Amino acid sequence: MSRRRLSDPSFAFLLNAPALLAIVGLVGYPIAYSLWLSLHRYNLKRPNLFRFVGVGNYVEIFRSDEFWAALQVTLVFTALGVILVVALAILIALLLNEPFPGRGFVRTMVLVPWAIPPVVNGLMWQWIYDAKVGALNGLLVALRVLPAYRGWLSDPTDALLALVMAHVWNAVPLGVILLLAALQTIPAELYDAGRVDGSSAWQLFRHVTMPWLAQPLMVVLVLQTMLAIRVFDVIYVLTAGGPGTSTTTLVWQTYVTTFDSLDFGLGNAYAYTISLITLGLALIYFRLLYRRGEFEA
Amino acid sequence: MTAAGRRRRRTGLLALAGALVAIFFLAPFSWLVVTSFMHEGDAMSIPLRLLPTRPTLDNYATFVAPSGTRSIVGSRAAENTMPGIWNSLLAATGTAVLNLALGILAGYSFARLRFPGRTGVLFLYLGSRMVPGIALIVPLYLVIQRAGLLDTRLALVVTYLTFTLPFTIWLLKSYFQGIPRELEEAALVDGCGFWRMMGRVLLPAAAPGLVAAAMFAFMTAWNDYLFAVILTSSMAAKTAPVVVAGFATDVTTERTLMAAGGVLAVVPPLVLAFLFQRLIVQGLVSGAVKG
Repeated sequence: MSRRRLSDPSFAFLLNAPALLAIVGLVGYPIAYSLWLSLHRYNLKRPNLFRFVGVGNYVEIFRSDEFWAALQVTLVFTALGVILVVALAILIALLLNEPFPGRGFVRTMVLVPWAIPPVVNGLMWQWIYDAKVGALNGLLVALRVLPAYRGWLSDPTDALLALVMAHVWNAVPLGVILLLAALQTIPAELYDAGRVDGSSAWQLFRHVTMPWLAQPLMVVLVLQTMLAIRVFDVIYVLTAGGPGTSTTTLVWQTYVTTFDSLDFGLGNAYAYTISLITLGLALIYFRLLYRRGEFEA
Repeated sequence: MTAAGRRRRRTGLLALAGALVAIFFLAPFSWLVVTSFMHEGDAMSIPLRLLPTRPTLDNYATFVAPSGTRSIVGSRAAENTMPGIWNSLLAATGTAVLNLALGILAGYSFARLRFPGRTGVLFLYLGSRMVPGIALIVPLYLVIQRAGLLDTRLALVVTYLTFTLPFTIWLLKSYFQGIPRELEEAALVDGCGFWRMMGRVLLPAAAPGLVAAAMFAFMTAWNDYLFAVILTSSMAAKTAPVVVAGFATDVTTERTLMAAGGVLAVVPPLVLAFLFQRLIVQGLVSGAVKG
């Protein structure tokens, strides 16, 4: 193909055709199909009963206790996870922005949790939390913090906290990397000017660092929220939604409805509900970036 | 205290905090690594044993040639780990390659060409990433089933392609935009065709971007569990995370063996992360801040 015989628009269309085909075929079509399924009664155990029910599945979801319980777990998990990740990421990024011996090594080590696949992360924490021979029990008992071994994953509250911790460990590095990159772009002159004015370290932090970090912090906040809402792998390995429904998030509830109950209609309605929540967040995300004028397409 | 003394104390405190952070990031994973070199007795001991009494490579050897009781008990893990890693390597490499091929073309169009619907198409790509995986899985399963591709690595590659392509396009678009137009115009004036210009001038100049994009695609594909577990059913296509997650629910598998399997599943992404540290950080930053 010779470039010169084509106009810009036709050439651009040719260049985009393969990617468009992939995205429309494997994301666009499934999304539309999922919407269509969510408007039907469709249980693989009783395929003969397939029929159109309109928003029936959505009504059923909003009337069910499972949905509200799962929504609550999702909110608690997301809020705790995001707060912990953001707080830890700020502290670690500020630390890694200061000079100290071994800083390069610590900066590299930040990548370790980031590179670990979530399933392996789950398996790793499963043993750390193990009731009989886990490292957490072993350490806490040896340090005399705990009188005896306990089953971290068999108590509803402990299990949720344990799950949050496992997720936080895996998710902190992304936050650290983004915030550290932002800190490194602060012009040294700003600090110099502040010092000349006689500002204290706290004042410098309050009036130079924090305003500079506000925008990247919003990005981290939204990214982490989306990440936390979608968590699946670590739940699968660590708690499978239990004990009871104490760690059953909306994503897990969708999975169970779809693949255990084989209720594809209801499952897709759940999936769509999550999509809408995520879409809302995505809109906030784009608005935030637009306001700053960062997004130049 | 003197100014120099204060500075020394401050540096000392910072280094101490740095050590704590390093421990926080390393300790859990080190525990997995240490366990993988233990005999089962050490791993199950109470009180906790932090180091193996007699370090062993048996657990890793089991994956290559199961011997003794391990050829019977827990043999599923022993047999499936290496094929799982092989499937993961193929699927992830395929995803990375296909990503580059499609991403280079689309990325170039956004970097250099003016055309109607440019912003719209770009938003379509980026917007597709906002859909949570759990919402795609059922219809995608039905599509793959109809295409007769269930339980194949190809199905995984095309699925992962759609996850990573938007980011690849975005990253390559930025990289191409950072390369002066004059370079490629000079090549075109010299009589190079479009493809030769790409191969000789633009792609070599964008090499760091290509490496970063390929690596992110590889890691995304390598890490996936949800799609792999639904779309595969046998060792013809089961990936490492599926095999590893199988350990977690299989009581007959020895703990040290699982640890070794887990460590193996971490090696490729970890090696990539260390090798391309700088590119990863750049890529993550440009991906998060700009798109």
